[in-house]
Amino acid sequence: MSFEGLPIGTAAKKRSFREKLYFPEILRGLGVTIRHLLHNILHTADMPTMQYPEEKRVYSDRFRGRHRLMKREDGSPRCVACQMCSTACPADCIDIVAAEHPDPSIEKYPATFDIDLLRCVYCGLCEEACPCDAIRMDTGIYEIAADKRSSFLVDKEFLLNNTTDGTL
Amino acid sequence: MAKLTIDDQEFEFPDGTSLFDACREARGEALPHFCYHPDLPVAGVCRLCQVEVEGMPKLTIACNTGVRDGMVVRTRSEKVTQAVQQILEMHLINHPVDCPICDQAGECGLQDQYMDFGLYESKVEMAAKVNKRKVKVIGPQVILDQERCVLCSRCVRFCQEVTGTGELGIFNRGDRAELDVAPGVELDNNYSLNTVDICPVGALTSRDFRFAKRVWMLKSARGVCPGCATGCNVRIDHEGGRVFRLKPLRNPQVNGSWMCDRGRMTYKAVHDERRLLQPVRDGKDLTWAEASGALAGMLQGRSPALVVIGPHASLEEMYLARDLADPAAVVSGPHDLDRGSGDDILLDGDRSPNRKGLASLGITELGAADLAARVGAAGGPVLVLGGDPGRDKTVAGALAQCANLIAIATHDGPTVQAAALALPGAAWAEKAGTFVNRQGRWQGFAQAVARPGAVRDVWRILAEIQALAHDGSGPQSLRAVRQDLVTSVLSEGELDMDRMPEQGYVPGGGEQ
Amino acid sequence: MTIVYEALAKIGFMFALIMGMVVVLIWMERKGAAYIQDRTGPNRAAILGVRLAGLVHPVADVFKLLFKEDVTPTNRHRALYNLAPWLVMTVALSTYAVIPFGDFLTVAGRRIPLVVADLDVGMLYILAVASLGTYGVVLAGWAANNKFTFLGGLRATAQMISYEINMGLALLGLMLVFGSLRVTDITAGQGALLWGFIPMWGVVVQPLGFLLFITTVYAETNRNPFDLPEGESEIVAGYHLEYSSMKFALFFMAEYAHMVIGAALISTLYFGGYQVPWLPRPALESHAGLLLTGTLIFTLVMSLLIAFAFLRRASRERGKFQDARDREPGLGAGLWLIIGLAAAAGLTRQPWAVGSAGAEVFASLAQVGVFLFKLVFFAWLFIWVRWTLPRFRYDQLMNLGWKVMLPLGVANLLVTALVMAVV
Repeated sequence: MSFEGLPIGTAAKKRSFREKLYFPEILRGLGVTIRHLLHNILHTADMPTMQYPEEKRVYSDRFRGRHRLMKREDGSPRCVACQMCSTACPADCIDIVAAEHPDPSIEKYPATFDIDLLRCVYCGLCEEACPCDAIRMDTGIYEIAADKRSSFLVDKEFLLNNTTDGTL
Repeated sequence: MAKLTIDDQEFEFPDGTSLFDACREARGEALPHFCYHPDLPVAGVCRLCQVEVEGMPKLTIACNTGVRDGMVVRTRSEKVTQAVQQILEMHLINHPVDCPICDQAGECGLQDQYMDFGLYESKVEMAAKVNKRKVKVIGPQVILDQERCVLCSRCVRFCQEVTGTGELGIFNRGDRAELDVAPGVELDNNYSLNTVDICPVGALTSRDFRFAKRVWMLKSARGVCPGCATGCNVRIDHEGGRVFRLKPLRNPQVNGSWMCDRGRMTYKAVHDERRLLQPVRDGKDLTWAEASGALAGMLQGRSPALVVIGPHASLEEMYLARDLADPAAVVSGPHDLDRGSGDDILLDGDRSPNRKGLASLGITELGAADLAARVGAAGGPVLVLGGDPGRDKTVAGALAQCANLIAIATHDGPTVQAAALALPGAAWAEKAGTFVNRQGRWQGFAQAVARPGAVRDVWRILAEIQALAHDGSGPQSLRAVRQDLVTSVLSEGELDMDRMPEQGYVPGGGEQ
Repeated sequence: MTIVYEALAKIGFMFALIMGMVVVLIWMERKGAAYIQDRTGPNRAAILGVRLAGLVHPVADVFKLLFKEDVTPTNRHRALYNLAPWLVMTVALSTYAVIPFGDFLTVAGRRIPLVVADLDVGMLYILAVASLGTYGVVLAGWAANNKFTFLGGLRATAQMISYEINMGLALLGLMLVFGSLRVTDITAGQGALLWGFIPMWGVVVQPLGFLLFITTVYAETNRNPFDLPEGESEIVAGYHLEYSSMKFALFFMAEYAHMVIGAALISTLYFGGYQVPWLPRPALESHAGLLLTGTLIFTLVMSLLIAFAFLRRASRERGKFQDARDREPGLGAGLWLIIGLAAAAGLTRQPWAVGSAGAEVFASLAQVGVFLFKLVFFAWLFIWVRWTLPRFRYDQLMNLGWKVMLPLGVANLLVTALVMAVV
């Protein structure tokens, strides 16, 4: 496409005399805002604002919240430390150290499984990548708060038990 | 010479070339294969390298067919790809598909072939697969998983033909056929990890590397094994400043496709806890600024009275250190320090990687008594690098008496203990350099990982000593050192050491 | 001594008025902006569960800012950096000295004029002090040694020069009409009627002058659409970027104090100040009984209605929060019932037969009340305009100041002078 003949920048609209006077248009604008103001004062109940701690938005079941690790029936982690999740992770927030499992039918298990929740971008690629359905983001927890950075580095025990709410 | 057509193009190969090699040449990539290996006899068991040859009633395997004049070969026809897919499906019938826990994942022949040719839905249920032994420890270095094995017999052939030990065999028939060691036998030879390398799947895995890292996370650098004078070409697999494993790189002139288990473990020294990470003077850690001051104080503008260069230094370091002092004051030794017993496969009795480098630079190698005498008579600063001569009791005694001993070392040891000033030099994987192997072959290696702590490249330390001793500036780059080296030892422009030929360089020709 | 006490009392009243207005304006700004933008606005901070529709938030802010760490840039000019916020605040407060908030109040037979300092060059004083305010902004921008604050200070300088002239020209017209530089004279003059039925307010006799003046006042107070020295989108927060804690609070309060002066000037100079339209002081005094009765009845009815609304809310929202906030509607209803009862009690005391002393006090209070009403309205206008108009671009600002307003100001002055000469 050719850019020839197109105006550079935004072409100014030709203004009418009334618009050039500014004040009538300013009054019109003031009219718009005061209409909103009066309407909202008289219909406070219709306000779309959500009173957050008391009211909470209901998210879809597919909402990606804080991670959890799934367990086998005997309570051990389902994870086999294949590191597909840490490979897929665009934020590089998953750190796994694999170790030999005494049971040869399991063979490999995560000795440590750390997630840095501050680095995580909640994209869900880890649960997509997981071949064992071991990591899920279906807790629905999104209010993640702590008073020091180190608390955001959660370990295997935390992810397996997943007992607390958003506060770490 | 045989003229033949491969995928509608004409090629000419010497008689006796296998069709597999011809196709690799013609296509630019190898045919799919499991059992073929260039340094092993042909077995022809995996049936994956099938090609269509005009005039032959059925597809034929390329690895066991020689080229013939007038052959018309098709490697990418519908018939061939279909056959490869069906063969692959057979290979995978009893495969456990436990890629998540398999160390081979990422460099697995099955995975690669499946992505290239397979991509079918499995017709076999997991429960219907034949179960075999998993996690079977068959030797000090190797773990066997019989379920994953595709019975290519590479490892069996290796143990028969290369080491001649024959520990491995394939037992039983049909879908119960399995790889195993004979009862009461262990896969315990110094070359056992080569079976892991040549295993196209995850049946044989290294106990040392087991679960240490997923292979796709590793980065690689070219190296030369520092374990003995053979100088096997290696690939240094590293990640995050750590070396995780060494793998042999094929060099038919030096090591073929193999290397010994002993050499593979040399990487552990790089991350040894005895590594010297800070300059040390009298047991106290120094900063480099303090160390430079101490160095200047010890040298006082003079050259070292004696330079002792060990056979573990790179050629570049040897060259720089040699020119620090009067030729008569540059020695090496003691000459029988790094010796053990070798074998006639790869391992050399000389356990130092660069003794030939000393010879090529004309540095005399002394015995223990002579070296001790020279150290005792030095009467000035003594510089030791490229090894730990103090491991010899006689030399250690002399070094302990030396008041101005400067040691450039990678690890703590008797010499460092005796030294007035110990400077941390880069270990082998942390620097670039050149080793001259037992054949006199110059082989370059690259820096793989970052230097830990305050460790410095040795040529930089030597350049600083040169600047202090000669009241001027030393060389500014490794490239400058190398250019000087080539000019001084070879003829000018004979060799670009930054672009060493893949198979190394033997000065004066010989077997290139 | 009495004069000193009187002056101190008047200064105290003005100071309390401005500081109270600052709090109210911050609340109006937040709540108004929220409702204009279909939001709820601040409604969390509470004292014992009483939130006063968000009025507690400015109080909470004061405590927050008092206890916040005072982060200062290392390479500031120490003296000027510390001086700037005080200069801004002091100048903002000093303009009020010449603004009359009522006619006079008779206490113990003394007629006390309801203005702190009745200067005969009051108009010049206003112009002089208004231009001083910009010094604080410029100093803050320069002393913080930050390029954004510096740009903010530069913008403030250029803007001041451009709009100071126009403000002077607009006021000149007004001075010609009322023939005085004394602010009280101008206010008193506006109590007259033009042709017997139109209040002779400044806006009536100087309509163009009013438009020019209100525009320049907006520019002088650095309020939208002339808040280029702050310009969040281009220069972060402009001149006060490097200030924190109470120093920032001073700038913040000074902005609202400036708004209060702006509103006071507009209402005093162009909307009759304390003058009640069609009811000059004698009329106010003579009809005091009737007016007082009307006011009380109005208060009674309104407070009952409001209390009723609170009661309805109380029944509707019973147990909504499960904490102290649930008491809020009940307390509101109670407060308004008490106000209503007070009005009813006043009605029983025969307000229609109020005496002459009471009538005088009532007249003074009524004038102060009218002044406050006008003040609040024009302060609200500042807020209203801010949440309606976008900010000018810098070249537009300069074009408007020099190419539009300056010629109009000169023309206005010439026409006014001509009319004054002819009439």
